[in-house]
Formats: sequence, structure tokens, C-alpha cells
Amino acid sequence: MLVLSRKQGESVVIGNDILVTVLEVRGDQIRLGIDAPRSITVHRQEVYLQVASENSAAIASADRESPLLRRPVPGAVAKPDLEP
Amino acid sequence: MEAASPNGIDVDEIPEDKVILFDEGIPGLPDCHRFVLLDLAPDSAFQVLQSVDSPEVSMIVTVPWLFFPDYAPELSDVEQASLAIGGPEDVALFCSVVLTPDDKDTVFVNLMGPFVVNPGTRRGCQFVLAGSGYPLRAPVKLPEVPA
Repeated sequence: MLVLSRKQGESVVIGNDILVTVLEVRGDQIRLGIDAPRSITVHRQEVYLQVASENSAAIASADRESPLLRRPVPGAVAKPDLEP
Repeated sequence: MEAASPNGIDVDEIPEDKVILFDEGIPGLPDCHRFVLLDLAPDSAFQVLQSVDSPEVSMIVTVPWLFFPDYAPELSDVEQASLAIGGPEDVALFCSVVLTPDDKDTVFVNLMGPFVVNPGTRRGCQFVLAGSGYPLRAPVKLPEVPA
């Protein structure tokens, strides 16, 4: 891991188009400003890990033979419409 | 060539125009980019999101509005732009489903991390709606299966 010291108002540049700026330091909280291209998603790590963990749980529990899932649910037959 | 997945799906037989491309992968699976949506059973409310790159990777998904008619996820301008979404017609949305051994008649739908696909481009993304208040595990009680 690369470790850098930065003061309030200073930034680090990641690659050619990501800029992370220390906006404010108050007690044990640091506010960061992140300038990144639209294609780069930025998340708080704990939220991202929750979703990643839920994806793992969905994969681990994906039982295609489950009678519960295979039976028609009255009034619930819509499918994602992927036709353009 | 051994192409059949453990689920009996030959991922080499999937036509290219059925593939959905997740450029960034999905959280936890950054290397799985190509997926296909398969039917689970006729008239089932559930489908299968199957990885084309890793045949052992698949998950059950559903259209959330079947069970949560008030679900109204908001995509930011940045999220919409990332998939070139110009209007509602550019959005197909589905959510993953978790089954647990303890809940025989209940499944859990991930409303916090919906999968969004632009049908026109067949590009998709799993958006993480932090701060939306939507839960990772919204329970859905299904009609019990007769023993």
C-alpha cells in the first residue's frame, strides 16, 4: 500500500483523471472530495462490501430446482424486458 | 470442449446478441463481465442471471415491482449517463434473490443493489443505492409448496 501524508486542501492524483482532495479534517473525521470520470463508481467501502457479500449469498443460494421459485406466483409473471 | 456449466447451460451456445455486458463487473465479481438472462420455469416470477465468463456463477433474479409495487429507486445523473439512459424505455431493472435454509417459504430481494440494463445497448450495471433506505434483504413470502 502506498502511504502519503496530505494536509487539508491538498490532493492526490490517481492515474490521469482521478483527483482526491482532503477538504476538511475535524477530529477523527476527514471529508474527501473526489473528481473522477463518470465511468468510475465511488462508494463507501462498507456499503460496497455489503452488496458484494449479498451477491455472494445470491450465487451460493441460487437453486434452480427450488419448487418455491419454479411455481407460478399468482399475478406475478413479468420478466425484465430486454428487447430494445 | 467442456463448455456446459454445472447448471446444464452451454455458455458457448448463447447467441452474442443475448449477452448483457457489465463493463465494471459487479461488486464482488469484478472479472465477470458477460451475463445472460435465462428463464427459470414457465410463468415463474424468477429468472437466472448467468455469467457467460464463469459458468459456475449465476444468481436468481426477479422484477422487484412484482412484490414491491412502490419500489422507486432513483438513479443519479452520473449513473444514468454511465448506461446512456435517456428515458424510462432505456431501463430494464431486476434484483437478485437470496434463499436461506431457515426460511422455507420466504426469499429475500436485494432492493439496495438493483441490476439495471439498457436494452438498446445491452450494457448493464449493478448500482449501489447507498442512502436510499432500500434494504439489502427485503423479505418476500411466497405461496407454500405443498408437501
